Parts: sequence; C-alpha cells; structure tokens
Amino acid sequence: MFFHIVLERNMQLHPRFFGRNLRENLVSKLMKDVEGTCSGRHGFVVAITGIESVGKGLIRDGTAFVTFPVKYQCVVFRPFKGEILEAVVTLVNKMGFFAEAGPVQIFVSKHLIPDDMEFQAGDMPNYTTSDGSVKIQKECEVRLKIIGTRVDATEIFCVGTIKDDFLGVINDPAAAA
Amino acid sequence: MNEITKKKRERVTTPCLVVRRSRSPPRSLSSPRVWFVNSMDNKGPVLKTVVLEPFIKLVRLLARAFYDDYTTKSDNQQKTARSDNRGIAVVVLDELTRKQWVREEDLAKELKLHAKQLRKIIRHFEEQNLIMRDHRKETAKGAKMYSVAVAATTGGRAEDKVKFHTHSYCCLNYPQIYDIVRYKLHRMKKKLKDELEDKNTVQEYGCPNCQRKYNALDALRLISMEDDAFHCENCNGELVVECNKLTSEEVADGDDNARRRRREKLRDMLQKMEKLQIRVAELRCVLGGCDVVHGYFVVDAILRLLSVDYVLFFFWLTKKVQIKPLMDQINRVKDLPVPDFGSLIAWEARAAIAARENGELNPNDPLRSQGGYGSTPMPFLGETKVEVNLGEGKEDVTSNGGDSSLKVLPPWMIKQGMNLTEEQRGEMRHEAKVDVGSSKLSDDKKSAMESGDAKDLLKDEYFKAYYAALIQQQQELAQKQRQEESGGEVVAPDSEMASTSSDRQVGMKSKREEEEDEWEEEVAPVPVAGNGNYKVDLNVEAAEASSGGEEEEEEEDIDWEEG
Repeated sequence: MFFHIVLERNMQLHPRFFGRNLRENLVSKLMKDVEGTCSGRHGFVVAITGIESVGKGLIRDGTAFVTFPVKYQCVVFRPFKGEILEAVVTLVNKMGFFAEAGPVQIFVSKHLIPDDMEFQAGDMPNYTTSDGSVKIQKECEVRLKIIGTRVDATEIFCVGTIKDDFLGVINDPAAAA
Repeated sequence: MNEITKKKRERVTTPCLVVRRSRSPPRSLSSPRVWFVNSMDNKGPVLKTVVLEPFIKLVRLLARAFYDDYTTKSDNQQKTARSDNRGIAVVVLDELTRKQWVREEDLAKELKLHAKQLRKIIRHFEEQNLIMRDHRKETAKGAKMYSVAVAATTGGRAEDKVKFHTHSYCCLNYPQIYDIVRYKLHRMKKKLKDELEDKNTVQEYGCPNCQRKYNALDALRLISMEDDAFHCENCNGELVVECNKLTSEEVADGDDNARRRRREKLRDMLQKMEKLQIRVAELRCVLGGCDVVHGYFVVDAILRLLSVDYVLFFFWLTKKVQIKPLMDQINRVKDLPVPDFGSLIAWEARAAIAARENGELNPNDPLRSQGGYGSTPMPFLGETKVEVNLGEGKEDVTSNGGDSSLKVLPPWMIKQGMNLTEEQRGEMRHEAKVDVGSSKLSDDKKSAMESGDAKDLLKDEYFKAYYAALIQQQQELAQKQRQEESGGEVVAPDSEMASTSSDRQVGMKSKREEEEDEWEEEVAPVPVAGNGNYKVDLNVEAAEASSGGEEEEEEEDIDWEEG
C-alpha cells in the first residue's frame, strides 16, 4: 500500500556546499540518501514529493559538518498481510517462484500455487496447468495475495499466495507473443 | 370461483407480479406480518406483498448462531457472573423482529436495559448493517408523529411522551440481512476451509542434517545459485518441505505451549464428537492408526469416514450451534421478496395512512400537517385512485364517514358472480357532486358528500338500468380480455392503459387493471399494510385517497350523465 507521509531526517552537509545553493544541495543530497531506501517502520521510500521545512543548522563539534533537520513529504510503499499485489515473476524453481512488485520481493511457495499447476523443469522452468492454458514463468505478471511479511530494519520480504479466487497470471508475455 | 379471483390467480403466475397473502397473521405479534413493497425490476415498479415470517425466523437464527456470545464488555474486562450479559444481543434482535421502526428509548424500556447498553449493542449491529438507524432532533410534533405511527402499526396506543432532544430510531434492515447472512456463512466456511487446508500458512522447511527450521520468509537467503533447491545456511544441506501437520510435534521449544493448546483442543473436539454419537469404534480405529497427530488431521480423517460436510461439522464443534437451520432458512428466503420498511419518515407516512384507512383520524397525522417536518414527499399530485380488492369480500378500505362496517359498494362495482354481503350491496349511496376540476378534497367537502346522498336517490332508478346494461358489457369485455391475456401473457402496462383510457367506463374489470397498472407507474407510491388486503395510492394530496378515488369515478359517471 502506498502512503504519502511526512518524514524527518537530520542531514549532514559539508561546508563546501554552503552558499547560494545550500538549499538545493541539501534537497538533492536528501533525495540521493533517502529515495529507494527501506525502513521497517514506513516501508520503501519511493519518492520525495516536497520539503516541508528545513530547520536551523547546527555545527557539529570537531567537524565542519552542519546538521540540518529536514522535514519532507514522501511516498512510501509498505506491503501488508492480506494485500493484493501485482508482481512480475523473476525466478521460478521447484520450491515455488519469486516475484517483484516494485522494490518488494515476494516468494510464492509451491503449496500456495494451485494444485493443478505442475512444475516443469527445463531452460525455462515454469508452472503449468495440466491443459497448458496457464503458465507461470519468468517475466510473466501475476496477481497475488500477501500472506506473510518479514520486516527487518532495512528490508521487507513477503510470502504470497495465488491459491485464491481471482489470483494468478494476469499477463503472460509468452502467450501474447 | 368468481372471475376476479380467477383473474388474480392468473396474475400471480406471471413472473413479474408476486402476490402473497398471509392467511392468518400470528396472534402473539401485534405488528402486521405482511408488508407491501414497491420494488423496481426490469418491468418497472411492481407491487409486492411480502411475508415477514421467514425473515423473522432468519434473523432469530442469525442472532443465535452468530451473536449469542456477544457481550458489550471488552475482552480484557473481568467477566463476573453478574455482569455476564451474553445473549443480550439475541434478546435485542428478537425484540426488533417484533417491531418495525422503534425508538431506542422505548426499546430500552421494554427490554429493561440501560439505554447506554442498548445503544452499544445497536451500534454494533448498525456497523454490521443489520440495523438501520435514524437520528433526529425532535420537537413535540416529531415525537407525536412517531407515536401515531406506532399506534397505527401495532394497533395499540403509544404513550405520548414528548421530549425535546435527539431521539434515535432503529429498525431491522431486512433488505440487507439476507446478504449479510450469506456473507457471514461464506466467510466462515472459507476461514475454516483455509484453516483445515493450511491454505494461508507460511511454508516451513527443515534441514534433514542439522534439524534447523526455516520458513518461506527466509527464502531469499536460502536460495542457492547452483540449483533450484533451498540450502541450509548452516550445513548447506538441501532443505526439505515440511508438512507442518505432522511435524508440529517436533518443533522447537518455543512452540511447546502452542502444542499443548492444540492437543487440548483436539481432546476437546474428540469429546464433542463422541457426544455427536459418532461410532466410537471407528474413532478408535482412526486414532489407533496415528498416535501423534495434529487435530485437524483426525477430524479430517473421521469426517472422510463419515462423509460429513466438515465445514458444518467444524462449525458445530467450535460454535456449538447447529448452523444447518440457518442455512436452510437462507435457502428458503432466497426467492422471497424482501420486506422493506423504508426510511423512518416513509414508514411513518405509510403508517399514518394505514391509521387513516382504519378510520382513526388522528389530528397529529404527519400527512395533515402539510409542509411540516416529515410531510410525505409527493412526487406529483395526480389523479386520486383507489384499489379495492373485491375478491376477498372483507375489505374496509374507505373511511366512509368513519363507519367501520363493510363498505357499501357502489352499484357499478357490483357485478355478477361477486361474493358480496347484503350490506355491501346495501342501499346505493351515491354522492354525485358536480365538482369537476377539483381533485383535492377537503374534509368538510367529504362530509358534504355524505349529506348529498338524499338528493341522488332520485337518480338511482336510472343508474340501475344503466348498470344492468353495463354488467353485460363488462362480462363480454372480460371474456375478450381473458382471451387476449391467455394469448399474450402479460400485457404491457402502457398499451393496456392506452386501450382502456379511451373507454373508461367500459368495465370494472378493466378499470381495476388499469388502476393496478397506474399504480405501477407511479414514481414512489408508498403502500400501506393494515390488514394486508388493500393498496392505497399516496398521490392524493392528503390521504383522502379512498374517498377521493370514489368521487373521481363518480365524476366520470356524472360526465356521462350530462353528456
């Protein structure tokens, strides 16, 4: 799920950036630092959409660095248990398959794939129904439901299922080609 | 069998019109068990008569199945024997099945509950969409309007207690309840099924060498580049999928408590099963086969042996309630038209009309106070119409000067084969007021009409001759029409209208139909159920529907007479 929230961060800025463009430098550094990171609490920071405020800089003792408390608005993405996501399959093996929904990785284990889908080994490993109408392989898009998340300080990993109504392959590049 | 009832039978078989009549309203419950609904379907609004009974049963079953252990207390509060109010929700729902709209204050009083407590329960049900609520700041008049409505629907008198603050009203939301029950059953089944099939569980993996356990959330770390399999972080052995049903016994220490609980649950379940009179021998056989088992495994096996619907069974185990009656009831209710009391205001308006129809002219009638709060929304002031059910011979539609005896039918309404009492044939009361152009009737005008009886007696002879001829014509037409109908099933209301409107006096039969059809065309007529036998049009300015309609038809006669 995506959220638009305000976060705060203390930015340390080297004195060489001080000058007319201090603010611009601060913001670009913030973007570089923050975008794409993941915190267990808020999820992945997808993009910074604006700066709320930049506080007074504080010169740190012993160094020339100055700390600015910056409040910024950003879009975060955090997967939740029970959430339905669309993801791209990245890896298929006999244990199940891995998929990516943006920054988050999701594993769907074999027993959470419908029972009528069988693993087919080969140079393009895939899961196929007995009649061959549905095929899950690398690069194809699936809709899945998250049934478990593991939220570490710096990463989020999910376990999903496609064993439910309306879940499964939504776009198969092989079939389309 | 007279023609009208025959006709009615025919209509009943047509798919769009459902007419049900409850023959004997139950004695103990005072509110009418039958309610009219105007529901839209693809053929336009259709008047339906709805039997409440099955829905009431549904609600009662629902209450017992899902809300019997509902308490207003939060879980962390200590439950003492005194404050244990489980089952209170059932009581509230039961009481609500006996009411339509009810003021929460009154309900609390009747149930001898604290208003706060009741409100909590009701809010819970409102969240579940079982109950409609309406709050309004009330003046004396508003409260009275409600009292009037209560008096009309229950036949009793509501005490006229007037307060000047916000009152809340609630009513069972019958249109929603069917769906709610189905949804609840569906969710329950799905949950149990998922649980039994271990559907939404995170897969566990174990290392056969070092007995380390992993689960699917570790998958990213475990995947190896060399082959497909997961490998142990510790010893690099290939992990195997664990069937967590059977391995739960071996799971590490932290799970000890969970395991004990699961075992207790199993024992509990087995005890209950024995109560279920499952053949013990079979049970033993299954249990003997697998000593260390997960609870579900046993249940699963046993159920497979007995080929019981395990969801039902499982629910029985966990809830101690037979869910079957509820399911049966929901199937029974499936095709029935749903009773809908509408919003509080609409309901009050209808009830007020019912009261009027019963001859209780109430000065506090919300309809009378035009423009006041809660005055009926009138889509348009069309012609006044009345539908009279001639077949039953027991209706008391108009408040003919307040006499509650059988209505005297005007002679043009009487036709051969009709089952009428002497009273209904009675002397002909024909008020002919040449009052064309005014379709609105005030009360004093009505009384004037009655006084006008005498001077019309002169015309009676003439009328009689006319009606004799009319009856003959009627019969011919009726026959013709029946043929038509048998040919073309349902005649579209519009075309029928067109055909009948040209020769309006032709026959009572066609007139009745026409009225019915006009009924169907109206924007939002609010039907009334008093005895469940008549339908009243609301498009009358005030609800002098019946007398107005009568006069209207008389006006037509007079036109004819003059012309």
